[in-house]
Amino acid sequence: MAIWTKIITLFRGAAHEAGTAVVDANAMRILDQEVRDAQNALLRSRDDLAKIMAQRKIANDKLNDKKAKQAEYSNYIREALARDNRALAQEVATKLATIEADIATEGKIIGEFDNSIAKLQSSARQAETVITRLKQQIDTVKATESVQRAQAALAAQHAGTGAKLGTALDSLERIKQRQTERAAQLEVAEELAQATGEDADLQRRLAQAGIVPGESSAESILARFESPAPKALNHDGTPQLSQPGVASKTS
Amino acid sequence: MNTPWTTESLYEALRSDKSVDLDGVELSLIGGVDAIVNITMHDHGDLAMHMAVSGEQIFVSSPLCLATQVKDRAAFNEACLRLNPVNPLSNLGLQNVGGEDLYIVFGELSSRSPLPAVVEEIHALADNTIQAAEAFADHLK
Repeated sequence: MAIWTKIITLFRGAAHEAGTAVVDANAMRILDQEVRDAQNALLRSRDDLAKIMAQRKIANDKLNDKKAKQAEYSNYIREALARDNRALAQEVATKLATIEADIATEGKIIGEFDNSIAKLQSSARQAETVITRLKQQIDTVKATESVQRAQAALAAQHAGTGAKLGTALDSLERIKQRQTERAAQLEVAEELAQATGEDADLQRRLAQAGIVPGESSAESILARFESPAPKALNHDGTPQLSQPGVASKTS
Repeated sequence: MNTPWTTESLYEALRSDKSVDLDGVELSLIGGVDAIVNITMHDHGDLAMHMAVSGEQIFVSSPLCLATQVKDRAAFNEACLRLNPVNPLSNLGLQNVGGEDLYIVFGELSSRSPLPAVVEEIHALADNTIQAAEAFADHLK
């Protein structure tokens, strides 16, 4: 498409210039011109089409008139021959010959009109396609331009601070950092969980061994009532480990 | 045929429609003659994307990297061209932004696209941009 070549040439030319606004303005101007040209072409071919269709209608009306005449004269000839008026039949036949020649000519002209109409209709359809495509291209340029301007505004905001325009690379860095942080958090949480787990396990075993107070069981409570309530801790050296839960419930 | 979106109507729809999945996606409208929507993708390292509607098209763009961050421009350009056809839904491009060349990943949709398609485009573009940044790691400084 010629339009692509034009735009690419523009970009090539502008590569030496600082800004891109020039390129966009030129591209838009070219695209606008192309749309106007295509729309004019479309209007012209529609005008031509209307004219030719009118001419075809006139030619067709004429043809129908001639055909009516043809039928009429044929009847006259038949009638004249039936009444044995050969001279009159001859005269009408001469006229009919002219009419039939005219019919052939008109028919040819109408055929030519039909060809032109088909051609114009197809070129109108083509022009419509071109216009639609160009309008899409204009939409793309405009949308791209809005986004580009917004990004340029962002870049300008950063320019003063010495920071550069944020890209996917910064985001990727952030994602990696967050993943590392999350992994570290998980690790700490796991260690904590493990530590408390280990602690709990030790406590449980200590309680089982009767070294630290465990849960009060019916057994330990009964034992408390049954024993002669010693004043001191059971430090007489008697191994009591065979009765877990009893030993330290005395305080 | 449904009516085409404008930047404003699309922004309003994205904000008010509760059925769309926009978790971790922050939207803000920047008004003006040519309004645009700023999109911050919190689940994609706060990637900043932009969206604008013009006539028949929705344009969504995401900044990949600055040309100054590329080691070998020629090699990188070729890598981009080779990746482009296999990159689903998104395209790679080069734009001059504020006097600086910026590689972008972008997508285009019809402005008559249903809302879920627009949301899918936003997510796909963010995914593709981050994946492209990862894939091109060797080419970047």
